Amino acid sequence: MKCARAKPGLLSSYLIDIAGVSKQFQGKRTVTALDSVTLRIERGDMVSIVGPSGSGKSTLLNLIGGLDRPSSGEIRIDGQAIAALSDDDLTRLRRDKIGFIFQFFNLLPSLNCIENVSLPLHLKGWPRKKVRERARQLLEMVQLGHRVDHLPDELSGGERQRVAIARALVFDAPILLADEPTGNLDSATGAEILGLIHDLHRNLGATIVIVTHDADVARSCIRTIALRDAKVVSDERRL
Amino acid sequence: MILLRLISWPYARKHLLRSILTTAGIVLGVALFVGMHTANRSVLGAFNRTVDRIAGSTELQVSAGESGFDEEILERVQAQPEVRIAVPVIEAPVETGLKGQGNLLILAVDMTGDRGLRNYDFEGDDVIDDPLVFLAQPDSLIVSREFADRNGLRLQSKLSMSTMNGPRRFTIRGLMKTGGLASAFGGNLAIMDIYAAQQVFGRGRKFDRIDLAVKEGVTVEQCRAALEKLLGPGFEVGPPGSRGSQFESIVKVFSISSAMSSAFALFIGLFIIYNSFSIAVTERRKEIGILRALGATRGRIRNLFLSEGAAAGIFGSLAGLAAGVLIAKGLSRYVSGLLVDIYSVGERSDEITIDPGLLAWAFAIGVATSVLASFLPARSAARVDPVQALQKGRLQVLSAGENRIRRWLAVTLVAICAACLTLGGSRPVFYVGFFSVIVASLLFTPSLSLWMARALRPALQWMRPIEGALAADSLIQAPRRTSATVTALMMSLAMVIAFNGLAVASYDSIVEWLDSTFNPDLFVNTNRTLGARSFHFPAVIGEQLSAIDGIQTVQGVRTLRVTFRGTPILLVSADLRGIARHTVNPRAVAGDYREMHRLAGEGKGAVVAENLAMLHKLGLGSEVEIASPGGVLRLPVVGVLRDFSDQLGTIFIDTSVYLKYWNDDTVDIFRVYLKKSASAEIVKGRIQERFAGERRLFVLMNTEIKDYVIRLTDQWFAMTHVQTAVAVLVAILGIVNTLTVSIGDRRREIGVLRAVGALNAQVRHTIWMEALAVAFIGLVLGMLLGAVNLYYQLDIVQRDISGLVVAYRFPFMASLWLVPVMLASAFLAALWPGEAAVRSSLVEALEYE
Ligand SMILES: Nc1ncnc2c1ncn2[C@@H]1O[C@H](COP(=O)(O)OP(=O)(O)O)[C@@H](O)[C@H]1O
Ligand SMILES: [Mg+2]
Repeated sequence: MKCARAKPGLLSSYLIDIAGVSKQFQGKRTVTALDSVTLRIERGDMVSIVGPSGSGKSTLLNLIGGLDRPSSGEIRIDGQAIAALSDDDLTRLRRDKIGFIFQFFNLLPSLNCIENVSLPLHLKGWPRKKVRERARQLLEMVQLGHRVDHLPDELSGGERQRVAIARALVFDAPILLADEPTGNLDSATGAEILGLIHDLHRNLGATIVIVTHDADVARSCIRTIALRDAKVVSDERRL
Repeated sequence: MILLRLISWPYARKHLLRSILTTAGIVLGVALFVGMHTANRSVLGAFNRTVDRIAGSTELQVSAGESGFDEEILERVQAQPEVRIAVPVIEAPVETGLKGQGNLLILAVDMTGDRGLRNYDFEGDDVIDDPLVFLAQPDSLIVSREFADRNGLRLQSKLSMSTMNGPRRFTIRGLMKTGGLASAFGGNLAIMDIYAAQQVFGRGRKFDRIDLAVKEGVTVEQCRAALEKLLGPGFEVGPPGSRGSQFESIVKVFSISSAMSSAFALFIGLFIIYNSFSIAVTERRKEIGILRALGATRGRIRNLFLSEGAAAGIFGSLAGLAAGVLIAKGLSRYVSGLLVDIYSVGERSDEITIDPGLLAWAFAIGVATSVLASFLPARSAARVDPVQALQKGRLQVLSAGENRIRRWLAVTLVAICAACLTLGGSRPVFYVGFFSVIVASLLFTPSLSLWMARALRPALQWMRPIEGALAADSLIQAPRRTSATVTALMMSLAMVIAFNGLAVASYDSIVEWLDSTFNPDLFVNTNRTLGARSFHFPAVIGEQLSAIDGIQTVQGVRTLRVTFRGTPILLVSADLRGIARHTVNPRAVAGDYREMHRLAGEGKGAVVAENLAMLHKLGLGSEVEIASPGGVLRLPVVGVLRDFSDQLGTIFIDTSVYLKYWNDDTVDIFRVYLKKSASAEIVKGRIQERFAGERRLFVLMNTEIKDYVIRLTDQWFAMTHVQTAVAVLVAILGIVNTLTVSIGDRRREIGVLRAVGALNAQVRHTIWMEALAVAFIGLVLGMLLGAVNLYYQLDIVQRDISGLVVAYRFPFMASLWLVPVMLASAFLAALWPGEAAVRSSLVEALEYE
């Protein structure tokens, strides 16, 4: 598996390659959420994105994750230009290569833990038995093996985020994107989740991008990119 | 008002489609109501205008129903001192045979006296300066300028018409200027000499009517009283306007069925509005909380929602009024068509009569329905607790307590219904039972649809693990949203099944009746169709027919509409003993079949149709009383038969009795039985040959007659198709509405689904499955309620509407059809919401709370 991921992209050696990307939101007044941002993230990197509220962090993450398309500029994921992809191809790319972790977990309230984790597997059309095995394996990995039948409402915030992480990892996605994953958790639970993400980075070699407010979280990452007013204002690498 | 503009309007605008769909039921109900009533009134209005235009300065009219009366009556009326002028009239519609012209109304008068009453506004020189010239030429015809122009006719043009003495060519000897009399019957009017008309129509020496004006110094009432005393109860004496009343009671049958359709649509509309408003209240809880926190009183909040209901009602009703007026024209053509075919009263109504009172009434009903529907949601909005509302989370679950109360109430009502059924007896008890069972089913629906959605979940999940489960969950988690749509579907399907059940059962009974009594090999009729009764055969034709080789038996039948206890019913006079001999599988509802025909044949009684017996509570031995020109005919009921000749009821008497009381030996239709060896085709040819050029007659094969009756039945039940269409529409609207709300509620869920890898097709599938599941639940519950509803509807039709007794038969075919139709409708309804779901912005959906 590791082998497959190590295969270099066709055109770019960077896993995430963002060139002159801008994003405007058309409303009563046009808002520029990102202003010609250029950014490259290597395979296996662990990057944090910081900046004041409204500076465009989430927008950047959403563009990387293919949840949205840029107004101008080019984004390549694993060498593939997303502008050229159809909606469904973009969805496939997202499903297979990108795992998402949200601040508000975004679990489906009507499905229990294992069903939530199974969601992407079913969507890809895996056979039922394999789906169940894989989902259980992941829940055990995030230490929720005893909670498979519980509904999200019956779990604590930290547990919910762990279910969300399990869901993000079902396809061994090479990229894990997290938008303020600890923003809705108390500090102890937050630290626990952060630890889990670090484990994933270490053990699975995933490339991780975390949007955060939290200085401690930012400090724990190898590289920190700061945004302000839709622009990248600093990009530091720690040793 | 300010709240309405600041709070409600932006919400309605944001959910524009949903807001429009919400009012659809109201639009439909009001449109049907306005359309059908306007059509009825237009036809009635046209009839009255014709009556009015023809009346001229006539103050009173004397008639003896459809049968006409002897010439000597005219002399007696003229001799009456109160009468200034009295003239005879024969009036009958005939088919012109001209393309696209339909019927021509023949007004036959005695030109010598008639111009004292009517103003014939002739063009140019007065063509009939000398009425005697007109009289001396019995082929004279005067038509309106309008009719002449439409058909390229001029003075001296010939117009061919089939008369009782065979085809005759008439010459146009006068043209009337457009307007006044000449505009009667949409301008399709022709004047003929009355004595010529007697020949043309085979009326013998009879008139249809006397038009008269009273002497100066005498009131119309005085004159009327004097004439009634002179002529006795067999005659009707009244102002021309009163002729509309009989017509009205016929048109009323249409009003009842159309009123049912529109009530049905409004009822469904009520649910749709209730549904939308309940959802709106839940969605806007936070907003309500803020308003309450800012000092809006509970009353203010309630009024806000009631005003929204009123606004929706006003909008829907206005749209309904417009749509109703638009469809009225088409409907009025349908009604006139049916009237001509069934009752032989033709009326051309090209213009529609819009009644402001009716519009106001329809508007009021539409608005009231809407306000009523918003009442409960408004109340629950007023009860919103500001503190709770401002906290997060949504209130969609039905509280357990509420559910328990519902179920208990439902069980109680079912018990009441069962009690009513076992008690039986009076109508109020019956209706209480009906009402209980309907309300019980409404109360049960939320629980039942929840249970069914839960039961469906594994099945849906098995089909598509994610899409299916989510579709089912969407239904389970929003029981209000789901059950309101299911209720609307259930109710409309229950109605559709009842209507179809009625149609199917009636249909079967009618076919059975046709097979049992309509078994002559040939029918000889004055018209191509059975309904029209303008022409009559002289009795002698019966003998002439009997003499034709191959014919064994000839039975003459005379049918006419008479007034029985205030309603126009059908009187059939025939050789009852003869008919009884030929009936296959004779079956009587009351009395012995042969015996009743023997008694009636001897003039000792009358046989009545079951529907008449039902409607007027007649049984064996009851006395029926019919006023005839020869006095009041009183006969005991000697038998009751299942008979579908007429919606309002039929009485059978023997030809001998008819002759005695009506002094009329004319015949409308001959039933002809052939000798065993004879072929119907050949004998038909012989009859046509025998009377060619000499008589107007049409020979119809047995199958033609049966086809004709079946076609009429089909036409009659065309209403059923309208109802089915309404139900399908409701299904689509209801489901679109639910789904639009549902994808609104589930924006985030759908966003998550897409974020973790759902392809567009998969998102669509979950929405389609939700739609199909709602439709399926609605179908199941609708069929169950439909089966119950049919039972009650049959009873209502039987006892309170037409008296037609038909056996309970669940319309399996129609129900089977409904399954694909409803599922397909649901699928169609889901297409747009499905697209909306995949088109919406993913990022916004994920941030949505
Ligand atoms: N869907 C949207 N429509 C309009 N404006 C948006 C939308 N999403 C974000 N914005 C605007 O873009 C800017 C950047 O937003 P975002 O990326 O969410 O910032 P951050 O995550 O750094 O707080 C903000 O000004 C925000 O208001
Ligand atoms: Mg953000």
